[in-house]
Amino acid sequence: MKVLAAGVVPLLLVLHWKHGAGSPLPITPVNATCATRHPCHSNLMNQIRNQLAQLNGSANALFILYYTAQGEPFPNNLDKLCGPNVTDFPPFHANGTEKTRLVELYRIIAYLGASLGNITRDQKVLNPNALSLHSKLNATADIMRGLLSNVLCRLCNKYHVAHVDVAYGPDTSGKDVFQKKKLGCQLLGKYKQVIAVVAQAF
Amino acid sequence: MMNLSLRLRRPSWMPDSKRMGMTSDLQWLLLTCILLYLMNQVNSQKRGAPRDLKCITNNLQVWDCSWKAPSGAGHGTVYEVCIENRSHSCYQSEKTNTKIPALLPGDHEITINRLYDFGNLISKFTLNEKNVSLIPDTPEILNLLADFSTSTLHLKWNDRGSVFPYHLNVIWEIKILRKENMEIVKLVTHNTTVNGKDTVHHWSWTSDMPLECAPHSVGIRCYVDDPHFSGHKEWSDWSPLKNVSWSPDSQTKVFPQDKVILVGSDIIFCCVTQEKVLSAQIGQTNCPLIHLDGENVAIKIHNISVSANSGTNVVFTTEDNIFGTVIFAGYPPDIPQKLNCETYDLKEIVCTWNPGRPTALVGPRNTSYTLFESFSGKYVRFKRVEAPTNESYQLLFQMRPNQEIYNFTLNAHNPLGRSESTILVNITEKVYPRIPTSIKVKDINSTAVTLSWHLPGNFAKIKLLCQIEINTTNSVQELRNVTIKGVENSSYLVAVDKLNPYTIYTFRIRCSTETFWKWSKWSNEKKYLTTEAIPSKGPDTWREWSSDGKNLIIYWKPLPINEANGKILSYNVSCSLDEETQSLSEIPDPQHKAELQLDKNDYIISVVAKNSVGSSPPSKIASMEIPNDDLKVEQAVGMGNGILLTWNYDPNMTCDYVIKWCNSSRSEPCLMDWKKVPSNSTETVIASDQFRPGVRYNFFLYGCRNQGYQLLRSIIGYIEELAPIVAPDFTVEDTSADSILVKWEDIPVEELRGFLRGYLFYFEKGERDTSKIRGLESGRSDIKVKNITDLSQKTLRIADLQGKTSYHLVLRAYTDGGMGPEKSMFVVTKENSVGLIIAILIPVAVAVIVGVVTSILCYRKREWIKETFYPDIPNPENCKALQFQKSVCEGNSPLKTLEMNPCTPNNVEVLETRSTVPKIADTEIVSPVTERPEGSSGAEPESHVVVSYCPPVIEEEAPTPGADEAGGTSQVVYIDIQSMYQPQAKPEGDQDSDPVGGGGYKPQMHLPVPAAVGDLAAEDDLDKTAGYRPQANVNTWSLVSPDSPRSTDSNSETVSFGSPCSINSRQFLIPPKDEDSPKSNGGGWSFTNFFQNKPND
Repeated sequence: MKVLAAGVVPLLLVLHWKHGAGSPLPITPVNATCATRHPCHSNLMNQIRNQLAQLNGSANALFILYYTAQGEPFPNNLDKLCGPNVTDFPPFHANGTEKTRLVELYRIIAYLGASLGNITRDQKVLNPNALSLHSKLNATADIMRGLLSNVLCRLCNKYHVAHVDVAYGPDTSGKDVFQKKKLGCQLLGKYKQVIAVVAQAF
Repeated sequence: MMNLSLRLRRPSWMPDSKRMGMTSDLQWLLLTCILLYLMNQVNSQKRGAPRDLKCITNNLQVWDCSWKAPSGAGHGTVYEVCIENRSHSCYQSEKTNTKIPALLPGDHEITINRLYDFGNLISKFTLNEKNVSLIPDTPEILNLLADFSTSTLHLKWNDRGSVFPYHLNVIWEIKILRKENMEIVKLVTHNTTVNGKDTVHHWSWTSDMPLECAPHSVGIRCYVDDPHFSGHKEWSDWSPLKNVSWSPDSQTKVFPQDKVILVGSDIIFCCVTQEKVLSAQIGQTNCPLIHLDGENVAIKIHNISVSANSGTNVVFTTEDNIFGTVIFAGYPPDIPQKLNCETYDLKEIVCTWNPGRPTALVGPRNTSYTLFESFSGKYVRFKRVEAPTNESYQLLFQMRPNQEIYNFTLNAHNPLGRSESTILVNITEKVYPRIPTSIKVKDINSTAVTLSWHLPGNFAKIKLLCQIEINTTNSVQELRNVTIKGVENSSYLVAVDKLNPYTIYTFRIRCSTETFWKWSKWSNEKKYLTTEAIPSKGPDTWREWSSDGKNLIIYWKPLPINEANGKILSYNVSCSLDEETQSLSEIPDPQHKAELQLDKNDYIISVVAKNSVGSSPPSKIASMEIPNDDLKVEQAVGMGNGILLTWNYDPNMTCDYVIKWCNSSRSEPCLMDWKKVPSNSTETVIASDQFRPGVRYNFFLYGCRNQGYQLLRSIIGYIEELAPIVAPDFTVEDTSADSILVKWEDIPVEELRGFLRGYLFYFEKGERDTSKIRGLESGRSDIKVKNITDLSQKTLRIADLQGKTSYHLVLRAYTDGGMGPEKSMFVVTKENSVGLIIAILIPVAVAVIVGVVTSILCYRKREWIKETFYPDIPNPENCKALQFQKSVCEGNSPLKTLEMNPCTPNNVEVLETRSTVPKIADTEIVSPVTERPEGSSGAEPESHVVVSYCPPVIEEEAPTPGADEAGGTSQVVYIDIQSMYQPQAKPEGDQDSDPVGGGGYKPQMHLPVPAAVGDLAAEDDLDKTAGYRPQANVNTWSLVSPDSPRSTDSNSETVSFGSPCSINSRQFLIPPKDEDSPKSNGGGWSFTNFFQNKPND
């Protein structure tokens, strides 16, 4: 038996091996276990839409609050300092299937959440007295966390997707202050632009 | 200067000159050739010797001497250099230089012998130290480091001091070159010393431009400054340049990055880029570009201003991007102010301070603080908070055992500098205790309790000073200080005495130390009710006999809480007579009176209050009053909130005075309340919430002797007087043609609401439907007012009224509180027929009398009259001087003059009817005492009174003095005629010329005098009109006596004084009946109406 077990199992493994095994799967197989930490809300899509609308409604105010807090010449040079030219930002296709859109939304929110974390950290050091900005950043991050959870629930429940590969923006911790300001402004400009499209798509 | 001499050896083969004397020309030629040859030889010898000896030294120990070699000298030439001094020393060298030891000061002869195959060439030099140059070796930079973060270059080199024999000063010159074209940006000297050994020197330089902006190079040279060296000292050569440059990556960058700088500094920013920079700006301000190598640019900012929290942005704009950096301009930390260290619990020291001027730097650039204690060597650091407030600048320092004195130094540090502040404290004197907590109270007895509380901290080594605040609802706040020894376990206990039984107390505590620094905050309040004690005093008692005089009602007041000492359960009432006491009843608490059936013996009544602990001392009062025959009822008015009663001191009164009061309208026994006043008092203010304004109260003052009370004074009073609320009820008792008698009733006390001060009676002519007395107080002239202040007067007769006239009467009462409402009535006077008759008869009689008297007088004085008025005129016919023709005189009888006919006297009736005030009754408005005495009518001395007229008088039972002021107005006035016939006004001059007081003829008419004019004005008017006045317009009078002679030259419109002619005016003094008068229509013709100036008509 030991010999059989020792020979068959590796053989089966080899037979079923294919490229990508061992790395995170973009989409969980249908029969894979998809567990969420909390029970999902019954009307997830509504929740997602509401959260997107909430983000979309506050994005511009957050953007204005941010670039105002950075001082001149940020408010007067938005195109060059805060243009939405974030190269590695996850794509979004509004005409895709709901599953695709949800997966892309997940990636976007994960990216934004991480970037907002960086921005919040940088601004607490740079602008410790800008309490309204901190509050708005925290509130946005909170909504994003909830949205991320809801999207994951939806993907898990309906499409049995338990894991999605995500990418994050550059870490700003080692950059100079001007770069932090500029990258944060660009990110929030991009966020304002993207969230409008995403909210419209759902 | 080097003195060089060349010594040549004469060659041995040179011919002797003595051999050259054969022929002169040939010899001379030969000699010339030889000379030329010799000269050539000499020159060739000279060129082959060493020359231009130069010596230098770089260490002052060895001189390196060099010389120029002859042109023919080649490889293999050897030189021998010899120094001619005491020890002749030579050195051989194959080169044109050699090193010799440093020579002593002074000249030294140096020979350099060139050794070669054909012989020796020797050069001699004189060498002195002055001719030697001191040129140090070229220094070499060991290391050049660039600190790009601070834009600082750190230079390191070796001074090679070991080569110098002794201590020397060395000057280093360092040059900094920038950019590729090597612009010198800094040339600086640096002084050091060398001391015989190699030393590495450091020098740093901070660039105003970031080192990243351009390549920098550094070179160094030195100069040895030896004062003992007399030669020429020169700088060394520059060292090879050392370069530093930042190796840029492909990204454009701006420098310096995130730099913290002092406000007001100058700073250069540069942009290292491959792109063309279009502009640069700091904040919103554009700056001119300074071009560096390549596309790199820089800007220079002067006097930078303070930054916002997020710093000041400096950006460089290219065609499609903006690159930038952030600068933080702020201030170094201010000296920490108000540094204070204290402890709450002697376990931990809290140091607080004020940071002073803001640095404008936040986040990681914010000021950090370190609190260092020098005795213990311990320190604590201030943990940065994101948004510090002044209150949060504090540090906690754990106390060291057995250490009381602490020397703290607070260091403040930020990227721009540091500062510090120190404080030396004895911490046991800086105790600020925390709030006492867990307050507990326990009974000791009814007047003492124990208070315990918890005060965190270890105060075992000191004493605490605590303050206990004691509050009750009724008494003032009390503070008690207690000093207690501090304990380790934080629990404290004190006794609080001198409290009142059965009283709710509120305690709270705060503490400090005996060496006071600060009070702690007050603890929470703790309420506590002390236990009961026996009542301290008996109740305040009073007694009243019932209305039938059979029962004695005992009243007592409940004991105040501070005397009851507990909850009063009941009262014991007892009476005693001749030391025989009888307990009568026990009355439960809410009831505060008892009714006893007693005879008229003088009992002593005792009342005792009882609570759960015991009974109070008895309160005693005698049942009978001490009689007092001399008792008057007085009046008093209060002050709005109370009433002041005063009395004289009476030494016989041994116990308290009692003032009792009641509402006067209440039935007996009347008792509202009473008040006891100590026997030594002579006044008291009675105040009660039950007092109401406008209510009459009776106050009774009792004096006390041996528990027996004697009524001393009885007072009725008001706490505040109000106006009566009803009008006096009055009726008309009697009405005549010229008077009305009015009678009124008293107003009840309850409706009077004050002490009655009088009545005001108003009357005027008026009908019920047409007349209303409006605005009684407005001073209308047609309203007469009578003020009746005699309160016993209940009737009033209004006289001098017109008959058959309706009058409106109003009566109102008043008190000091105001006027009461009015009650009005309309009364019509009766018709006066007797007056009419008298009015007719009297003028007739007067006219007759005047006529008779005049006739008699004229008859008796006829001679005088004749002489005066009709003197005999001489007959011109008898005058011979006048020879009138007889025919003329006889034929014209009218031409006779002064024919004396008998003169018929005129009857003149003078109507003296009234004073200058036409209607006294009409003017009697303001004062009710304006009645006129009858005798005043004769006050006009020059009036020829024919018919005396008595002005109307209002009859009064109590005439008011001073009424004779109106007497001045009772003059003879000639009236009424002018109302029908306008008098002929006399010229003003004639009026003035007539003496007023003259005894001549008096005017028969009087011009109308306004009723409102005063007496004086009336007299003036009278004076002006005192002259002769015609009685009427003679043109309008048809009945002129036909037999009255007239002066032919008199004016037909005037009647001159002295005219024998007069007018019988009698026929016009009685005017025709006024048909339009409503009075006449109503009541027929009235003579009195004729004399009245009737505005209503």
